[in-house]
Order: sequence, then structure tokens, then C-alpha cells
Amino acid sequence: MQISVENLTKVYKSYQRGNAFGEAVKSLFVRKPVYIHALKGISFNIERGELVGFLGPNGAGKSTTLKILTGILYPSGGKVSIMGFTPWKDRKKYVAKIGAVFGQKSQLLWDIPPVDAFYLNKAIYSIPEQVFKQTMDEMVELLEVGALIRKPTRQLSLGERMKCEFIMAMLHQPEIVFLDEPTIGLDVIAKDKIRQFILEMNKNGVTFILTTHDLSDIEHLAQRVIVVNHGERVFDNSLRTLRSRLGEKKIISVSTLNPLPALTLPGITITKQISAHNVELELDMAVCELNKFIALVNKSSTIRDLAVQEPQIETIIKELYQEE
Amino acid sequence: MMANLRLYLQGIKTALATRMAYRGDFIMSMLIMLLVELGAPFITFLIYENGASFPGWTMYEVLLIQGVFLLARGIAFPFYFGIVWNTINRVRDGTFDLLLIKPKSTLFMAIVTAFDAEDLGKFFGGIMLFGLALKRVPPPGLGEWLQFSAIFLVALVTLFGFALILAGLGIIWIGNFRVYDIFFTIINFGMYPTVIFSKAVQTIITMLIPIAIMGYIPAATLLGRPAAGTCWAVLASIAFLFMSLGFWRLMQKKYTSAGG
Repeated sequence: MQISVENLTKVYKSYQRGNAFGEAVKSLFVRKPVYIHALKGISFNIERGELVGFLGPNGAGKSTTLKILTGILYPSGGKVSIMGFTPWKDRKKYVAKIGAVFGQKSQLLWDIPPVDAFYLNKAIYSIPEQVFKQTMDEMVELLEVGALIRKPTRQLSLGERMKCEFIMAMLHQPEIVFLDEPTIGLDVIAKDKIRQFILEMNKNGVTFILTTHDLSDIEHLAQRVIVVNHGERVFDNSLRTLRSRLGEKKIISVSTLNPLPALTLPGITITKQISAHNVELELDMAVCELNKFIALVNKSSTIRDLAVQEPQIETIIKELYQEE
Repeated sequence: MMANLRLYLQGIKTALATRMAYRGDFIMSMLIMLLVELGAPFITFLIYENGASFPGWTMYEVLLIQGVFLLARGIAFPFYFGIVWNTINRVRDGTFDLLLIKPKSTLFMAIVTAFDAEDLGKFFGGIMLFGLALKRVPPPGLGEWLQFSAIFLVALVTLFGFALILAGLGIIWIGNFRVYDIFFTIINFGMYPTVIFSKAVQTIITMLIPIAIMGYIPAATLLGRPAAGTCWAVLASIAFLFMSLGFWRLMQKKYTSAGG
């Protein structure tokens, strides 16, 4: 087992302050402490070479977990063992073996080319010249940024910068890489390139832990999904199992020649009534079989077009987030 | 050790490359810095030109104290004092995290990424003033030079201690810039002969918060008239360094990071 997290807790101390002027003045002298339980005993294990999606709504505790796992924060309680290290105790030895990409915190230097930042990382990790050049050339070729790494970072697009962030994180050949919203704000082409890169690195045995709000990242990359909410783990299994939580539901778009009757049968939930001839609905096939539904609609209104889709992962995640 | 030195030099090269991206602004900033720093020596010159003086001290002796004071800051500010602003800015925008994920001491990483080329203006100003004043005072002997070098090193250590305390405060007391204003006002006590202050202030700036060691004490040693309480000031500076290191470590443990 490469990562073992046991009963991880984190409590932040904050101070309550009202918004009125009087309360602001009062807070200069007396402040009421508030204890925020960001993590309430999270446990999970991750094997070498896994690619795990770490999901949760804002404030759920996923960034706090990631920061503890990367040695940035001290936890309030619990045990963590990653490659035999306790991140906050063996920080220096441990972080030499991990990489991190924070979508909203750049490791590049704004006014100078990415290659200068790469050289700074070379010195930080004491990477031998030959290994450095070879790794950099491989990454540059894979991400197609050869012409860009010598331009000042400020002249690069967001997608180009993010590709260079990945090179920064991978130059020292880490065994585990933590990704915090790595595709935030990127266009589809840049997202696709970065996803291909992650999959390629994962094939080489690098473990990835990915937090994101972009569920298409999860669908394209993650073999396993951990969902946290209110500081607790609410789901930990494969993407397939996550999908099956909705049972045998399908999303159906139907268009008819004649006006549709009121579809009030059990197992049918109208999600969008576009017109008298067009409707989008959710069909629970455990209650109403698909062929029966098609026959019913065709008989009453004559089907012109019909599309059947899997339910979107967003629906499932939304349900998980709303669970108390 | 060599790897760390290479990293530090790479940090300086990177910071210079960053600053050179705006060459005109860099040169102007350095010149302005130099002019601002020469303000106090200029006032000293005016005081003596108008017949007033610091009792028992000639103009060039006072300028030597101010030269040493400027030189100490001219070494500290570009090469390591930048950890104060580096830490404050990084804690505020959350990029302090990026220092913690590097396999080096966080303090060292804060220094490596904090080289402040603009403050080289202080360094060049300090060398100029020190050299100018030194030519007009009786030449010091080898013994004075050796003692001066040792005490000057302690002055740099004291400034490092202050940098640690201010940077540590920046971790938990985000955005409280008045503390830094107070610091910059207080350290100015170090660029005058202590005789101009009351006994109580002399004791405080020599033995309690060793500010006098940043200018007055090393300069007085070089002039062959060592200040009373020099040994105490050296001991206080070393104790101050250990206290500051402890404070920095404590504050680093209390780091809560910015929201994700």
C-alpha cells in the first residue's frame, strides 16, 4: 500500500466577528473563538499506480486533506503513512518523492521563461544535468511546448502555462503527484492534452490524486472516486459503482409527431418539458421497461426521434453532496 | 552544503533575471534607494556644518557608524531580509504552500526565493559611505579589523533574527504592516553613538534588543574605542537569534494556508 490515511482530523480555530460597526469595535478587545472541524476522521488507502479522483463541494475538506497529504499542514489527529513517511514529520525526505500541481497557484515565475523556473527546480531537487535534460526533453515533446518554454511566462496562454506547470511538477520524477484543479479555466484542446499526459505518466506507474470540480476530468481519468462532504468520506469506490448508485435510470429525449399526453406513469420523471411535442425525462427501468415506454409513447403520439443516454455523473455527485 | 550554495546562487540568478525584465525600473529603483539611504548621512553633514555635533564624536566617526549601519543592511536586505515580504505575500496569496512542498528547509526556500536586487542600492551606498568615512579617521590596526569583522558578523546575525521575527509574525498576523513600520523606526537607533540617548535607552538597545550592534558597536570597535557592554550585546544578539529561530518554527507550525 502506497498511501494509508487513518482517522484524519483537522480543526481550525477562527474568530467570530459581526458585520456591524459596533461589533467590529468590540472584536478589537473581545473575540469569540469558533472551532471549524474541517476533517472528521477520514480514512482511505491508495495503491501504487492508482489514479484517484477526490471530489467534494466547496468547503468539504478535500483541499485540507490534500494539504495534509503534501506535508503543508499539520493535522489535529489521525495517522498518515505515504511511502513509509509521515508527511508533516518527514517533510523534506517525503516531498522529494512527490509532485504537485495547483491550478490556482503557479510555480512558474511570471516575468521570465518557464525554462528558468525549471532550472531553479533542478537546483532545488539536485537533479543531475543529464537526467534533467532527458526528462525535460521528454516532457516538452509529450506536451508539445518546445517553442514556448523560452518565452516569458506572462506571454503564454493559460493552457500553455498549465502544461509548463506539469513539467515543473514532473522534472524530479515523483512517485506520487497531487493535482488540485489542474484543468481549471482551460479550453477543451488544452484539457485533452493534459489528460493524455496524466494517463501517459500513470501508465509509467506514477500515482495521481486529483481534486477537481470538473467531473469530465474524473470521467476521463479516474479509476476510483473518493467523495468527501462535511469533512467525512461519503463514497469510496470505482466510477462504475458510483454510476450504479442511480440504479437502472436512463435519460431520454423524445420528440413526437402528435402532442404528448401527460406522462404520469410510475418510473417516469419529466425533467424538461420543451414543447407539446418535445420532452426530456428520467426513466427508471426497474419500474418501467424501456420497450414498454417506447410502445406507449409511439402509440399515443408517434415517435419522430428518440435519444437514450446514461445519467450524467453530475446528478449522482449532486445527490451525494446533498446527503447529510 | 555545496548543493545549497548552488541553489542559493540559482535563486539569485533567477531573481536578477526577473528584475532585469524591467531594466529601466530596476536601475531607477536602485538609484532612488541609494538616495533615500544617504538622507541620514546628509543630515549628519548638515548638523556638523552648522557647528552642532554628537558629543565626543567627529563628523567622520559618525559617518563611519552610519556607513557600517548602511552596509549591514546593504548585505542583509538584498540577501536574506526579503524573507519578510516574501513570507507576508506568499501567506496572503497562498503560495507559501509551494515552499513547503520543496525538499529543503522552508526557511532556506524563503531566503532562496527572496533575493531583492533593488536593495543592492543600500549595499553600494554602504560601501561608498564606509570607504569615504574610513579615509578621514585614523587607520585601524589589524586587531581592530578582526574584532570589527567578528562583531559585524553578529550585526548581520541580529538582522537575520529580526527578519525571522517579522516573517514569523507575517504567518499568523496577516496584513499587519504597522509592526514593520515600528521595526524600521526602531533600528534607526543603531546608526547614532549611544551617548546621545538616556542610560535606560542605551541599556535597552545594547543588552535587551541589540540594535546598537547594527552600526554603533562595530564602528566604535573599528575606531579603537569599544563601546561599554559590547560583550553583553554580542551575547544578547546570539540569544536573540536562537529565540527568533524558535519563534519562526512555532509560527510555521501554526501556518493554516489560504482557502482552496
